[in-house]
Amino acid sequence: MSRSLITNARLLCPASGRDETGSLLIEDGKIAAIGDIAGEADTLIDASGLCLAPGLVDLRVKTGEPGGEQRETLETASRAAVSGGVTSMVVMPDTEPVIDDVALVQFITNRGRETSKTRIYPAGALTIGLEGQAMSEISLMQGSGAVFFTNGDWPVGDTSVLRRTMAYAASCNVMVSSRADTYALSARGVMNAGARAARMGLSGLPREAEWIGLSRDLFLAEATGCRLLVDQVSTARSLEIIREARDRGVEVYVSVAAHHLFFNETDVGDYLTYCKVNPPFRNEDDRQALIDALAAGEIDAVVSAHDPQPPEEKRLPFGEAAFGAAGLETVLSALLVLVQDERLNLLDALRPVTASPASLIGVPQGRLAEGLPADLILFDPDKPWHCERENLLSRSLNSPFDGRRMVGRVMHTIIEGETVFQR
Amino acid sequence: MSIPGYSYKFDHKHLLSIEDLSRLDIEHILDLSEEFAEATRAGRRPDPHLKDMTVINLFFENSTRTMSSFEIAARRLGADVVAMPIAQSSVKKGETLIDTAMTLNAMSPDAIVIRHSASGGVKLLSRKVDCAVINAGDGTHQHPTQGLLDTLTIRRTKGRVEGLKVTICGDILHSRVARSTTLALHLLGAEVTLCGPATLLPSGTEHWGAARTTHNFDDAIEGADVVMMLRLQMERMNGAYLPSQREYFRNFGLTRERLARAASDATVMHPGPMNRGIEIESAIADGDRSVITQQVEMGVAVREAVLKLLAGRRL
Repeated sequence: MSRSLITNARLLCPASGRDETGSLLIEDGKIAAIGDIAGEADTLIDASGLCLAPGLVDLRVKTGEPGGEQRETLETASRAAVSGGVTSMVVMPDTEPVIDDVALVQFITNRGRETSKTRIYPAGALTIGLEGQAMSEISLMQGSGAVFFTNGDWPVGDTSVLRRTMAYAASCNVMVSSRADTYALSARGVMNAGARAARMGLSGLPREAEWIGLSRDLFLAEATGCRLLVDQVSTARSLEIIREARDRGVEVYVSVAAHHLFFNETDVGDYLTYCKVNPPFRNEDDRQALIDALAAGEIDAVVSAHDPQPPEEKRLPFGEAAFGAAGLETVLSALLVLVQDERLNLLDALRPVTASPASLIGVPQGRLAEGLPADLILFDPDKPWHCERENLLSRSLNSPFDGRRMVGRVMHTIIEGETVFQR
Repeated sequence: MSIPGYSYKFDHKHLLSIEDLSRLDIEHILDLSEEFAEATRAGRRPDPHLKDMTVINLFFENSTRTMSSFEIAARRLGADVVAMPIAQSSVKKGETLIDTAMTLNAMSPDAIVIRHSASGGVKLLSRKVDCAVINAGDGTHQHPTQGLLDTLTIRRTKGRVEGLKVTICGDILHSRVARSTTLALHLLGAEVTLCGPATLLPSGTEHWGAARTTHNFDDAIEGADVVMMLRLQMERMNGAYLPSQREYFRNFGLTRERLARAASDATVMHPGPMNRGIEIESAIADGDRSVITQQVEMGVAVREAVLKLLAGRRL
């Protein structure tokens, strides 16, 4: 039996509220004991000055596997992930081919097991080919390990298709994730609509598109009883719309992309395509409202929204460049910067990247408790560092954080008791 | 420079946007342009400032007016001009765009004049070349030499820019001319009113220097010293942005009756090409208040000045 002992760590468990200095013992890939631990160990890690927390569970990652391996594979994404403290990731179905049947779900699971350092969970396509017309084999894919269902970057446009699909998903007790959008309003947009887009001569992605799409999705969730994860909320008003729905008793969960907590539309600057994402960076008021909602516990998951894009998709005029930002390596630091700014405490910062998303997809990790898988990170919450894209480990380096000064960094990542990354 | 006691240096490498210029920069360019304009009127040829230099005209969008204006300006100053009109169809993807820039850069030109259909496209190219880049229009963003030539035309015909009331009417939303001219006029102290239908008038125009906006042309034109009409693309009038041509003309067309509301000596401008009978009555376009041909004339002068300032520079 292999035993590893981590001592003198600040133990942080957002599920139990534990925040104290102590030790943690790992035996055979599982957490064996927490607290004051005596006895022998094969490996001893002195974690003085570091925080010990559950590894991050990221509910929104895109790789290029299968079909776009030049952008990213499960293996390269997992290398980036562990350096950012992410130990479990849900990969989106918008690949080539689309993950819309049982064999492909199994393919992702198997490839993940064979090549990835992290745990990989596939999200299934809500409709065949993500075309938004015919529902996929939701129940069968769920049985093969799909953790939720989504149309990814292409939310279902046809409201009646979505209604039927959500009703069916509800009967399978499956969670549906949808980014709130209204194509008719956003089809040609490339950045947040408003004065800045107008001055730059760029067509806008209006906030109304998010509000109208969100209201539609929430009404359908209410009508069908489907569990809904609202993917990457980006505006203050959206949070109000969700609060109202929650008051009505709708079972709705919310995710926010880490970059929306960090940037606003002015960061697009001189047509910086690394800052071209969808939903777009909004106004400072929106960013502040997202941070406030996070502090108030209204955000269930903070995601990396990792979307690797190679230079040939980004070194283009802004209007023609691809959407998407590489995010796996910066999601924790983006949150720790907010802790440093005293907007969040550490446990509240960690909850939406550990316990809360883990329970949304029904996996045991994400907590510090005896008997659970030892997926752990050691991080220094005060360590300053300079994000330079050349030093990122993702195969694509399209990070909006390039050039930014960050605070807080992962020093050690453990999955199932094994060290998979050390800085 | 005409201000005693100040030393002034025009220290820009490129001309990409009016946003990059100060009032002093603009006045400097206009003063220089004026000298070129006078020389041309007097039948003199300017000194060959661009002798032995090569200017490339790289136009990714169709243009006859702007491209020939730049070409004439460069030739008058003695440059060799290579025209490269590139149909959009042959350059579909941007890596090709950047590759094109890098290829041209390797040929060591002294200036590249670029028009591109994407906002920010010229700026992107400028990062990849060593020589001066002059923006001849990027998407719906900027067309700085147009802003300068409009300002010069106003300064010459009115004797000043400061304090003038200028009304710009039409498709503001899609107009790089409006974005450039409004800011240039604002920097020189004019009071600019933007006017157009709600579907074609974006929010936040105060950031480009507009003093006010209105959807009522009769209000907008009241007491104006200068009225500038913008071209309306036909495809905007099929019900997408506007119900019809005749409804547009009724509400936003420049007629003699409307012009009577402006100042008695108001001048009329248009960046061309005009849709006669849609945004402007022919009689006005050809009338004695119109300075539209002078705009074209000033266009060459401004481009001579800009080329003289920038070509061959390597900052």
